[in-house]
Amino acid sequence: MILLVDMDAFFASVEQAHHPHLRGKAIIVCGDPSRRGVVTAASYEARPFGVRAGMPLAEAKRLCPHAEYVEGNPRKYVEKSLELLEMFLELTPDVEPFSVDEAFLDLRKLPGRGQTRDSAVEIASELQQRIWDVHGLGASIGIGPNKLIAKMASGVKKPRGITPLSEEEFRGVFWPQDVQALWGVGPKLAEHLKALGIATVGSLANAPGDMLKRRFGVVGEHLREAAWGHDQTPVIPYHEGIDPKSMGHEVTLPEDCRDPEFLEGTLLRLSDQVARRLRGDGFRGRTVTVKLRDFRFRTVTRQRALATAVDDYAGLFEVARALWRENWKGEPLRLLGVSVSALEHADEEQLELFPTNERSKALQDALDQVRDKLGEASVVPAGSLAYRRAMGHVPFGAVRSGGAPERTERKGREVPRASKRERGGYAEGPDPSAPDPTQFKPRGPREREP
Amino acid sequence: MFESLNDPVDVLTAFVDGSMRPIRFRWQGRIVRVRRITGQWARREGQAQLRYFAVQGSKDDSYELCFDARGPSWVLCRAWTGPG
Repeated sequence: MILLVDMDAFFASVEQAHHPHLRGKAIIVCGDPSRRGVVTAASYEARPFGVRAGMPLAEAKRLCPHAEYVEGNPRKYVEKSLELLEMFLELTPDVEPFSVDEAFLDLRKLPGRGQTRDSAVEIASELQQRIWDVHGLGASIGIGPNKLIAKMASGVKKPRGITPLSEEEFRGVFWPQDVQALWGVGPKLAEHLKALGIATVGSLANAPGDMLKRRFGVVGEHLREAAWGHDQTPVIPYHEGIDPKSMGHEVTLPEDCRDPEFLEGTLLRLSDQVARRLRGDGFRGRTVTVKLRDFRFRTVTRQRALATAVDDYAGLFEVARALWRENWKGEPLRLLGVSVSALEHADEEQLELFPTNERSKALQDALDQVRDKLGEASVVPAGSLAYRRAMGHVPFGAVRSGGAPERTERKGREVPRASKRERGGYAEGPDPSAPDPTQFKPRGPREREP
Repeated sequence: MFESLNDPVDVLTAFVDGSMRPIRFRWQGRIVRVRRITGQWARREGQAQLRYFAVQGSKDDSYELCFDARGPSWVLCRAWTGPG
């Protein structure tokens, strides 16, 4: 049997465990509570009021004004996640971390235990209790013959539920449900399916295979199999590692903004963060995606495939900026994101159209060394300083004379403005103490949208 | 609510069997006795490692302290100042 351990309201629960007086209270984990942003996590006490992760903070404050708003700390949650991983590895070496708060545990190779349903439930129950005793955290555990069923079962009873499902039971529970309940079916795919008259998981299971294949290709076949509770995906143990499919960062801006300089600076900052992560993990990417969300919450994502894979901020930024310029109509933006996909290992040979600029490469290596030694914000692209200052991440004033950041009124919206001096090359500065809200993205379910 | 402080503080610290723990610290003219360490985590800043402690004081007060071995120095990152 396979277990999916899903930590209940993980970020909020870690805060409650670290600060016991918050236990039993509605708490909302977010970025800086005094700024605009979204809910990162809500405790179970806040959820009856309608507060959900991803909701704008202003709306959460309206729905649940008595909640405590706690600034999240990604490093704290990652550390706890690693401690939990160690606990899982004591039980079985076949553990696949699925996100910061979820992991698959394959019990099928455990000697004498874990093969039967009763035995798996017993193990799950012991594990759930141990997580509570050691860490003071709740976990819901799904049990199934494959990853798909384990994953979907984990959401049946929360918090602190244990739900074992066979394939037959899976169909009994999920066939009557909306097709979007199926793991991997997002809102857009659900829309397409419903347009074809497929509204429930059961109707997807019984839809003609030819039609699904014609309409959705290979994904159509997978979807139909999934609706039957079939899944052959192996649990890939932690020690074998799984290559990421993409890397990206996004940020909700301090206020709706249509200042091109500020938006460009933000894109530069995001490109720099993504490039640094790519190099740190030894990857390059061939597809650059930009995400824009305007003040009406309309989201546009646009991507461009490159002839040569990149891992430098300048190359990434050039494409990201071009995509942004082509798709931004001047409306105030709320959120910006940059991501890179079609990743390949940086040590793989790459046939390049143009020879590598050795000077740029040497400069990049030197800058990486400085950051490795002194911290991420010791050297940053100067063009990103307007963004950093607005987010309170620039604790020095050497770049601009005159002390406080310059602010300018543009088209009725006040936004910080970068000086020309800030828009080229790198600037130096000490590390910021504020946590970086753009590092705050737990991985969601794998997308299977066509 | 939590108040972000980042105030340098003097902390009486115990180093026992390769681990460290804050015992009490001076803040706003008073001594806060650490009754319980409720959480620990770390963050790298370049080559330096910062060690964080979530602690409970003598009453229902709650704090987060950070130890930076480069100083060595302690910083009180945030403190619970009562319901927001």
